[in-house]
Order: sequence, then structure tokens, then C-alpha cells
Amino acid sequence: MDALNALFAGLGEFMTPMGVFHVAWATLLGILVGSLPGLTATMGVALLTTLTYTLDRDSAILVLICMYVGAIYGGSRSAILLNIPGTPASAATSLDGFPLAQRGQAGYAMALATAGSALGTLVGILLLVLLAPALAAIALDFGSFEFFWLAVFGIVISGQLTGGVSPLKGYIAGLLGLMVAMVGSEGIHAHVRFNLGFDQLNGGIGLIPAMVGAFGFAEVLTVMWRRKAELSTEELKEDRVLPKLSDLWRYKITIGRSGIIGTLVGIIPGVGEDIGAWASYAAAKRSSKEKDQFGNGSYEGLTAAETGNSAVVPGALIPALTLAVPGSAPAAVLIAALFIHGVRPGPMIMFEEPTFIYSVAAMLILATIAIAVYGLSLTRLFILVLRIPRELLMPVVFTLCVIGPYALTQRIFDIWVMVAFGLIGFVLRQMNYPMAPLVLGIILGDLLDKSLRRGLTLSNGSLEPFFTRPISLIFVVIIALSIVLSMPVTRRAVSKVIGTRSGAGDVEGPKP
Amino acid sequence: MRFDTPAADRVTAAALFALGAAMSWGGFVMDRLEIRQIHPASIPGLVPMILGAAMMLCALLLALSTRGQTAPDTAPQGNWSDFAFAGVWSCVFALLLVGTLPFAAAAAIYTFVFAGWFTWQPAEGPARNAKQLIFIAVFAIAVAAGIAALFRYGFLVRLP
Repeated sequence: MDALNALFAGLGEFMTPMGVFHVAWATLLGILVGSLPGLTATMGVALLTTLTYTLDRDSAILVLICMYVGAIYGGSRSAILLNIPGTPASAATSLDGFPLAQRGQAGYAMALATAGSALGTLVGILLLVLLAPALAAIALDFGSFEFFWLAVFGIVISGQLTGGVSPLKGYIAGLLGLMVAMVGSEGIHAHVRFNLGFDQLNGGIGLIPAMVGAFGFAEVLTVMWRRKAELSTEELKEDRVLPKLSDLWRYKITIGRSGIIGTLVGIIPGVGEDIGAWASYAAAKRSSKEKDQFGNGSYEGLTAAETGNSAVVPGALIPALTLAVPGSAPAAVLIAALFIHGVRPGPMIMFEEPTFIYSVAAMLILATIAIAVYGLSLTRLFILVLRIPRELLMPVVFTLCVIGPYALTQRIFDIWVMVAFGLIGFVLRQMNYPMAPLVLGIILGDLLDKSLRRGLTLSNGSLEPFFTRPISLIFVVIIALSIVLSMPVTRRAVSKVIGTRSGAGDVEGPKP
Repeated sequence: MRFDTPAADRVTAAALFALGAAMSWGGFVMDRLEIRQIHPASIPGLVPMILGAAMMLCALLLALSTRGQTAPDTAPQGNWSDFAFAGVWSCVFALLLVGTLPFAAAAAIYTFVFAGWFTWQPAEGPARNAKQLIFIAVFAIAVAAGIAALFRYGFLVRLP
């Protein structure tokens, strides 16, 4: 009951004219960012963070959450109309969305995507309100030993699930992120490491310049490298832009299941919306009565993918708020933004800011209402937005990439960092290295470093508590199992067993 | 040109191995702060040494994983000339123009050249070309002025 009261109090707090104005513009901007191929949710949140310095704390976080929700939803536009996911989160959406657009049902596909996204976010919000306080309470028992394993767990799982066919590349990306985090003054003795003679590196490499580079500049380069996309001409046919309630009712189990899967995927550190969508899509296909329709314009497949990716957003905020460990790349930027605005995410959040989680849930509800309103009323506007030429859009994006990180510290050096990460990010993407573990590594590097050394100091150099404390032991077992299961020999054996049990026809996973 | 080939993975593996070795060595020779009498288990170089070793191991596994693999036979999907211009010109803007020229001027030049390079169609006749140039110039000035004004007056940032 207290939770419900806090949630309504949060809603009331933001239902001011200024609050509604922030929800309106930030969600619309998020949808536009998400719908344009090459502009991702992470990039949108990172760039918008640099524009929220002067806003008050709650308004800034409201704006960033609206951008996040809007961008993940907006990715479905180009996935349906162009067969190019606006964000990686919408890759599964294009499997059924684009065939529907080719049949002249683009409007209805977008309506279903809107309904799926809104319902998925609502399922995620419910689980956020239920699980986050409980997780924060459990996290209070975490010591240095558990936090060390939590950081390792995040890198291993994120690397494995986002590495596509080669988890090894995911692990390498995670290690690179951890190495980046080793640069600068360390957190226990304030000793400066690996500054290579640059005084500017004494404070370490800033997360925002690195993220803007890896997700902004690298995206600009990737967009200019790709061939131009052709807009489907079929989408302009008149068709229904409101979802049928009968369809939504028919897929109620799919929606509920996809919402839960998406939220749970979101809770896993550094995994993100694309895996949430693929996992939900695969689960829907396995249990569907119309399996043969999947990939050919299935309403159920489209709904599952969109519900799954949107439910990841609240899910990703659960560990972000309670453990300061991001569930996705945009959530990593949100953590940085929370620190900038004076909120300290982590196990103490329920003591220091007991109503903050409910305020975040209220922000998510408002963003969900906004995407439902925009999605069902501005379908044709979004089609027009997709016609903006990349040659005009990309210089604007890059100019923001340059000035955004500079605005935070007013150091030209941060622009250099952004450029370096952009170039490295582009090359790594070309080589099929996932970006999420890299970002997670940068975020978790400090936690891993301090926790290991503090733990060893507490145990007087003994490794025993790292393996014998109950929560540590659980982490160790999961990490070991994950690594063993990611080995090619084990994977071949497991897929052989699964293949003989379930026969053919599973879903193709995310491309690396 | 493509980067997702076994040969590229082998070169990357060598570079990553060198990076891991350098970080391990850097961690090993790092000041152990004995003068401050810190606990030996909390030396600043401990985690870099471990990370370097882990990276060397992953680099070895990466190199081993390329054995028997062949390069994809499909042609690369991208347009490298567009990429090269966008990359080089963006770097020139970020690393040279910003800080040398006032930000608004640098941004206007960058946007004008970027948009002009990709949209310019010389075969369309002088009248149409002039119209196109004016459009791009107005667009570039509007973008530069808008972004500069937003940060300078909206967020009170002292622009470079």
C-alpha cells in the first residue's frame, strides 16, 4: 500500500504543466531519435544528458527516461517501414513488421508495435516496483566479495549474451572496458595509473565522452558507411492505425510472457533490449499455434518482439538503481546522469531516497502514456521523419557529439576522447565486437578493482571468502557455468541435445 | 575491405596480446606504495596485472579460434569512400577546427562541407546548383547558430 501511495505521489509530482511539457517533448524527441536508423537510444540518452545539466534533478531524470522509453519504441518505425531497425532493439521487430508493411499493413503493424511497447513497459514497471526494493534489501548484505563477483558476473553474462556467435569477442570487449577504467586515479590509495604522461588522464576517462564517441561518432561513421536505405512505398496505403482489442486479447499470454522475459533480461547486467526482444520472440514462436506465420508478417511475433524490448527498459533500471550496475547500455548512461544530478544509485538508495524508485516508476508510466498517444496519433508524421536525408542529419548529430561532452567539463581533451572512442567503436563494430560489454566494463571497472583489493585486505590476502560466502558462491557457480556453456565443445553438445529434443525451426538469434 | 575476416582476427589477437602484456607489465612495475605501508594485497597494480593476463589469454583463444576459418565470400556491404570522407572531415572538425575557430563558425563550415559533399549534383545546371548551395549554406548556418546559441545562452557553456 505504501508503494502504491508513493507511486501516486510520484505521478502527482510530475503532473504539473512543466512536467507534462518535459514528458511531451522528450518522448517525442526519443521516438524521432529511435526511428532514425543510426541514432540509438544510448546515443540519444548520452547526448541529452549533456543538455540536462541546468535542469533540476527530477526534471532531468524525467527527460532522460522519456528519451530512453521513446527511443526504444521509436526503433520499430524504421524496422517496419525500412526493414532497418532504428535501434538494435528493434531487429526482431523487422522480421514480421516489414512483411506486414509490404502487404500494405504498415499502419496496423505500427499500431500493434505501439500497443506491445506500452503494455511491455507497464509489465516492466510493475516488476520494477515489486522487485527493486527487494533487490535493494538483498544488496545490503553485499560486501566487497559479493560486489567483486557481481562485477565479474556482469561482464561475463553481458559478453556472452551480446557476443553473438562468438562470446569470446564479448569477453574481450568487456576486458577492454575494464582496462579503460584502470586509467587515472584509483579509488583506494588515489594512485594515478596509466596516464601516459597526460595530466588530463589523471581523473580517468569520462564515461560520457566515451559513450558519446562509441555510440554517437561510431554511429555517424556506420551510417555514412552503409548504403542508403530505400523507404518502402507500400506504407503509404490507407490502413488501420489503431490496434484491435480482439488481437491484443488473443495475444494476452504472449504479451504477459514477453513482458516478464523482457524485464528479467533487463535485470541481467549489460544485456539490453535487443536480447530481450529476441528472447521474447523465440519464446512466442515456440509456443505459438501459428509458428509458420513468424517471419512472414505475424501479428503475434511483432507484438512479442516489441513487448519484449520495451519491458527491458524498466528491467534494466532495477539493477541500475539498486546495485549501480546497468542492465543495458542506455541505463549505463542513466547511472552517470544520476551521479551528475546528485542521486547515488546503489543498495543504500532505499534509505537515502526511499521514494526515488517509485518516482522513476511514475516517470516510466508517463513516458508510456506519451508513446501510446504519439504512436497512435502521429503515425504519418513518423513516416515523413524517415525521409530526412542522412547527409543533413549526420553533421547535426556529430556537432552535438562534439559540443555535448565538452559542455560537461569544458575540456577540449574530452572531445579527443570522444573521437578516439568513435574510431575504435567503429572498427570494433566492423569486427563484430559488441559495445555493451565495453560500456559495462568502463562502469564496473572501479567497482571490480576496489572490491577485489578491499576484499583481499579484509581477508588478509586470503581468497577463501570469495568462494565460501553464500552469495559469492552462487555468483561463482553461475559464472563458471556460463563460461563452460559458452565453450564451443559444450555448445555443440548442448545444441545436439536440444536439436534432438525439439526438432527444427528455432529462431535465428541476434547477429553479432 | 572488410574487418570480419580470420586474418583481421589474427592481427587483432596479436595487438590485444601486446596490450594485455603491456598492462600486466605496467601493473607489475607499478609503485607498490611500501612507503605508505599499505596492505600488500591492495597494491594499485594488482587488478591491471590480472586484466592484462586475462586479455592475453583471450587473445590466444581468439588466434586459435581462427584456425580453419575462411574469409566470408560475400562482398563488403559498405561504401568506403563515403566513410573515408565523413571520418576524415569529422576528425578535422573535432580536432583542428574546434578550438582554432569560434565554435559557431567551425560548426557552420563543417556542416556546409559535409552536406555539400554528399548532396552536390554538378550535372543539374547552374540555376539549380546555386539554389542547392544556398539551401545548404542556410542549413549550415542555422544548425551552427542554433546549437551554439543553445549551449552558450541556454546552458551557459563557454564555447571553445
